[in-house]
Amino acid sequence: MFLNSVILIFQETLEAAILMSVLLVFARINGIRPTWIIFAIAAGLVGALIFAFNMADISDWFDYVGQEVMNALIQLIIILCLTVFIALQSLRSRVTVSRHQNLIYITCMVAVVSLAMTREGSEIFIYIGMVLQQPEYIRPTLTGTGIGAGIGISCGTLLYYGLLGLPPRWAPVCGATLLALVSGNFASQAILNLTQADWLPYTKILWDSSVWLPEGSLQGHLLFAFFGYEATPSILQGIAYIAGMLFIGLSAYVGYRAAVHGKKLQPRGELVK
Amino acid sequence: MGSIRVFLIATMLATMTLFNFVATLQGYQSSLEEAERLFDNHLSQMVKLIANLHVEHMASNLNQSSDLAYQLWHKDQLVASSANSPKGFITELTAGFDYANFNGYRWRTLVHYAPDSDYWIVAAERTDQRFVLAEKVIIKAVTPIVLGIPLVGLLVWLIISRGLKPLRNLSFQLKHKQIDDLTAVKIPDLKDELEQVVQSINDLVRRLGSALEREKRFTADAAHELRTPISALKVQLHNIAEEVSADSQSFAQLKSGIERMQHLVEQLLSLYRFTPEEFANQFERVDIYLLAQNVLAEQHDAFEARQQSLELEGSSCYIEGDPFSLGALLQNLLSNANKYTPFGGEILVSVECSEGKVYLKVEDNGPGIKPADIDKVFERFHRLQKNLDQVFAQGCGLGLTIVKHVTELHRASIDILPSRFDSGCAFVIQFNEV
Repeated sequence: MFLNSVILIFQETLEAAILMSVLLVFARINGIRPTWIIFAIAAGLVGALIFAFNMADISDWFDYVGQEVMNALIQLIIILCLTVFIALQSLRSRVTVSRHQNLIYITCMVAVVSLAMTREGSEIFIYIGMVLQQPEYIRPTLTGTGIGAGIGISCGTLLYYGLLGLPPRWAPVCGATLLALVSGNFASQAILNLTQADWLPYTKILWDSSVWLPEGSLQGHLLFAFFGYEATPSILQGIAYIAGMLFIGLSAYVGYRAAVHGKKLQPRGELVK
Repeated sequence: MGSIRVFLIATMLATMTLFNFVATLQGYQSSLEEAERLFDNHLSQMVKLIANLHVEHMASNLNQSSDLAYQLWHKDQLVASSANSPKGFITELTAGFDYANFNGYRWRTLVHYAPDSDYWIVAAERTDQRFVLAEKVIIKAVTPIVLGIPLVGLLVWLIISRGLKPLRNLSFQLKHKQIDDLTAVKIPDLKDELEQVVQSINDLVRRLGSALEREKRFTADAAHELRTPISALKVQLHNIAEEVSADSQSFAQLKSGIERMQHLVEQLLSLYRFTPEEFANQFERVDIYLLAQNVLAEQHDAFEARQQSLELEGSSCYIEGDPFSLGALLQNLLSNANKYTPFGGEILVSVECSEGKVYLKVEDNGPGIKPADIDKVFERFHRLQKNLDQVFAQGCGLGLTIVKHVTELHRASIDILPSRFDSGCAFVIQFNEV
C-alpha cells in the first residue's frame, strides 16, 4: 500500500504541480500578482471534494461510463483553456493587451489549475477515503501519501525556480514547451478515457515498449507523470498526443500573427498589471 | 526572483524533501529485499528443523500457523503435512526456493532433500504475510522522516532568517533613512559578504553628500554673486530710461533680458532655499485655501493682463507645511498656467479635502502636455514648449522643478492629468490632511 500510495499521489500531484509552476512563472513574467492561484486552489479543492463525494452518481451517467466521460471532458476543457492562454501569452509578449484580454488570460490560468486540481484531487480523495476504511493500511497509505505529495510538490517548486532562473528569453519558450507536453498528455488520456467508455473505437497499438520500459517500473511511472508515457498506446492516442501539442504551437502562432498584424494596437509598452 | 528568503527556504526545503524522500524510497526497496532474505533464511531454518524431527513429533513441535505450510515426502508418499497444505505437491520437488499458488494465496516455497533419510521437505510461507510484516517494520522507520519535514522546514526558515538578518537590517536602515540623512550606514555584527556592500553604499553616500554640497554652494554663490550686478544693472537701466525713446526696441530687449536674468537668479535662490538640508523650518498648520486666496490676489494682475479668467473654488483644508515654500509652489503653478494658457483662457484653482487627503488642483485650458513630455517637465531647465515665441513671459525652466521639490519636501504627490476643460492639463497635488 505504501508504494502504491507514493506512486499514485506522486503522479497526481506532479501533473498539477507542473501546471501551477509554469503558469505561475508566466504570471510572474507578466507582472500578475499571484493571488489568482489562491482562488484556483480553493476552487480546485472544493471541486475535488464535490467530484469525489458524488463519484458514485457521476459513474452512473452515460450508461455507467460517467467517470471516464467527465475525466475526458475536464481534460479537453483544460486543453482549450491552455490553447487560449498560450495565444494570449504570445500576443502579450509582443503588444500591450487590453484589460478584457488580461481578464481572459487570468481566467484561463484559474480554470486550468482548478480543473486539474478537481480531477487529480478527486482521485486522491477517493483513494484515501477507501483506504481509511481498512485500519491496517492507514499508516502506510498516509506515509506514502506524504512522500508522494512531498516529491511532487518539491519537483514543482524546483521547476518554478528553475524556469525563473532561465534567461528571460528562454523561460517562456520552456514554459510553453512544457504546457504543450501537458496538453499532449491530457489529449492522449482523454482519448483513452473515451475509448474505455466505448465512445471511441479501439485502434491498433502504436508501439509496445512494455518489455524494456514497463509502465509499472519506477522509470515508467516517472515518465507517465512527466510526459504521459504509456508502454502500449493506441494509434488514436498517439494522434491525440501530437494534436494536443500542435494546438499549443498553433495557438502561439495565432497570437504571434495577431500581434504582427495588430498595427492598430499600441506599441509594446507597460504591460497591463 | 522576488524575496531571497522565500527563494532560499523554498528551494532548500524542496531539494531536501526530494532527496530525503527519494532516498527513503530507495531505503524502503532495499529493506524489503533484505527482509525477503531474512524470511528466506527463516524458511530454510524451518526446513532444517523439520528434517531433524521425527514424523510423530512433527505436529506437536511445529507451530500450526496459517502462514506456514509444510510437507514431508518419502518415495512420492506424503508422510506428514501441515493442516493448511494441499493434498498434492506444494511445488515441484526440486531443491531450492520458488513460488507457488494454493489456498487462494501466493506462497514462497523451499524444497530440501535429506539424502540420509531420503526425505523431501517442502516448506512454504505466505508472501502477503511476509510483505505486510516487512512493510510494517519499514514504515515505522519511514514515518518519522515524513513527519520530520515540517520540523526541518521550520528549522530551515529560522536558520535562513537568522542568516539574512544583517541584510534585512541594511535594507531597513536604507529604507528608513531620512531624505537629508547622508550619514554612513552602520550595521552591527557585519558579515564578510556584506562588508563590501556597506562600504560601497557609504562611499556612495559620502560622494553624494559632497556633490550635493558642491551643488548647493555653487547655486548659492552663483545666485548671490549675480544678484548684486543685476541690481546695479537695473539701477542703470532706470537711469537711462529717460534718455532713450519709449519705443526703442533695443531698450525693450535690454530690459526684458535683465528681467529674465533676475527671474532666473530668484528661481535659483528658491531652489537653493528648499534643498533638504536647508529646509529646517518647522512645519506649521496651513490653510491651503486661504494661502491660495492670497497667492491668487497677488498674481491677479498678470492674469488680467492676458484677459484670463482666474477662479478659486473649494473650502478651508489644513495641512502641515511651510507657508513660504507652499506659496512659491502655487505661484509657480499659476505662473505656468498664466504663461501657457492663451489670451482669454480659463484657469481654475480648487482646494478640496477627501478621506484624509487635501487636493490642490490648478487647471487650465491651454495646449496641455503631451504624455511623452510629462516625465520631463519636472527636470531642471526644461521648457514646456520649444517655440519660445509662444510663451508670453520669461521663464527659465525651474518653476516646475521647484514645484516638484516642494511637493517632495511635504511628502505629497503630484500628478499631471487632463483638465476639466476641453483642452489643457490639471496639476493635482495630494497632501495629507491634519
